[in-house]
Amino acid sequence: MLLWSLLGLATFAGRATHAESVPPFRILIHPENPLASLNKDFVIDVFLKRTTRWHDGETAHPVDQRADAAVRQSFSDNVLRRSVSAIKRYWQQRIFSGRDLPPPELDGDEAVVGYVLKHRGAIGYVSSSAKIGRAKAVPVQ
Amino acid sequence: MTQTTPAGYSVPCTKATSKVITVDHHRAPRVLRAGRRALSILSAAWLVASSGFARAEESADSSNPLPIEIHAFVSQGFIKTTSNNYLAEESTHGSFEFSEVGINFSKQLTDRMRVGMQLFTHDLGPLGNYRTRFDWFYLDYRFWDFLGVRIGRTKLPFGLYNETSDVDAARVPILLPQSVYPVSNRDFLLAQTGGEAYGFLPLGDAGGLEYRLYGGAIFYDTADATSTLSNVRGPYIYGARLMWQSPIEGLQLGASAQRLRLDGDAAFSADQIAQLQMAGQLPSGFSGPVKFQIPATLAVASIEYSAHDLLLASEYSRWWDSLNTSVPSFAVPQTVSGRFYLMSAYHVTPWFTPGVYYSLLFENLADRKGKNPPYGSVPGAAPLGRGAYQHDLALTVRYDLNAFWLLKLEGHYMHGTAGLSRELNGNQPLSSLTEDWGVFLVKTTAYF
Repeated sequence: MLLWSLLGLATFAGRATHAESVPPFRILIHPENPLASLNKDFVIDVFLKRTTRWHDGETAHPVDQRADAAVRQSFSDNVLRRSVSAIKRYWQQRIFSGRDLPPPELDGDEAVVGYVLKHRGAIGYVSSSAKIGRAKAVPVQ
Repeated sequence: MTQTTPAGYSVPCTKATSKVITVDHHRAPRVLRAGRRALSILSAAWLVASSGFARAEESADSSNPLPIEIHAFVSQGFIKTTSNNYLAEESTHGSFEFSEVGINFSKQLTDRMRVGMQLFTHDLGPLGNYRTRFDWFYLDYRFWDFLGVRIGRTKLPFGLYNETSDVDAARVPILLPQSVYPVSNRDFLLAQTGGEAYGFLPLGDAGGLEYRLYGGAIFYDTADATSTLSNVRGPYIYGARLMWQSPIEGLQLGASAQRLRLDGDAAFSADQIAQLQMAGQLPSGFSGPVKFQIPATLAVASIEYSAHDLLLASEYSRWWDSLNTSVPSFAVPQTVSGRFYLMSAYHVTPWFTPGVYYSLLFENLADRKGKNPPYGSVPGAAPLGRGAYQHDLALTVRYDLNAFWLLKLEGHYMHGTAGLSRELNGNQPLSSLTEDWGVFLVKTTAYF
């Protein structure tokens, strides 16, 4: 058990170091959202639906990308600090216990940008090279 | 000592009552059961497939943030023990009586209001027998993030995993540590009908606090009862869970407690009455059932670290319970059981996750080695011995074959026979069952 845990921790530490590099994604919010930057804990709480509202009371609408999308894995590792598999398991627990529903999963950057522009409370992420139109890209601190 | 009720709830039980609280499975012939199982699984698979189309149609409209969500799962397992029947009647020969099917529908009516329901059917040895029931249904209204209410039939938030103890896809092991999450308790300790208040409070640099308070009643499906038990019900249950999401990402600590009572009647056959009267445990001229009440308090302290690909979890639990009956000789004073486990899992790849846990159960902390006979035993009876404890070392590998289908293999080394069902083992005393034994399980689950 101890060896197992140490092995896991060692690998985890290696990945954590790797995750410190510049994240290959941008976080988007609606252009009318007044915030210029986001607190990382707030983003985590919104994507895990522990927090459901923006500071001005607007309902938050987080949106994910498909589980096999590279940008989803990058966002999950860097921001949520859990693998996509672990996040999927988190949502399985909540879905089948009747607690909550996961954010919708959309196909690709373009769909996410469209969703964010359509919903004032939306928050999503796209790859760094994506065209984001009028959507507002905000840093996470 | 404690014994196991028909649904597996560990309750104090005298030797005498353990004779009368026996399982009459009313099982259909094997061929019929196998046919019914196949039909059920096929129906469920069709349901899953057709629901998948429905869900696809819904999600295609990505502009609608409030669609009807449909999710479902179908599981089929196999269990084999080296000795001692465990969970299923013939596990020593291998048993497929280990199936679960569920489908749920949820709809976000407004930003704050949600409704949902889940239909569930299962078969686990003598339990379930594919009777379909509402697993949960609720109306949820979230006033603010720090306060929401939910009314209906809701899962019980006890410990880290009670709510999801029947959701195979949501965890690595096939069997959660049975000391804290005995699968045979499902009908008693998984859900309640009543109300719940919940909330999440961000604490800034100190993390966040998730809290839940609930109260209601337990409705027991009498179809799962034995021929000797009737009117089994839980007139009340209430409890709370507090989880602190620490500033260390992925680390949460918490505590849960609940108080409940189970009531019912135990009937006697003429032969049993005669035997019990000869043993002096029933008065002469006795007639009618014995009314019983089982008040219980359960508490658990929890810690979980889940970050990146690693999961570490541990819980320590104590359960206080007693048996009050209309026949004083059957009553059992309060006993305190101790329960603990340490669990780890690691996502080596997105499709391969091994896990391991060690679980420990003492049925009576005042007699960890079983030096005393069970409560209510006749003078000179053998001590409880190996029936007082259960050490369980489990190894699991989980293969996610794709996003909707998984396969798990699991092996257990068991030391001790606490938690086993006497009824599944020919009503032999637990002290006479094999002390060192193994369990092997295979389970596959399709879900979305």
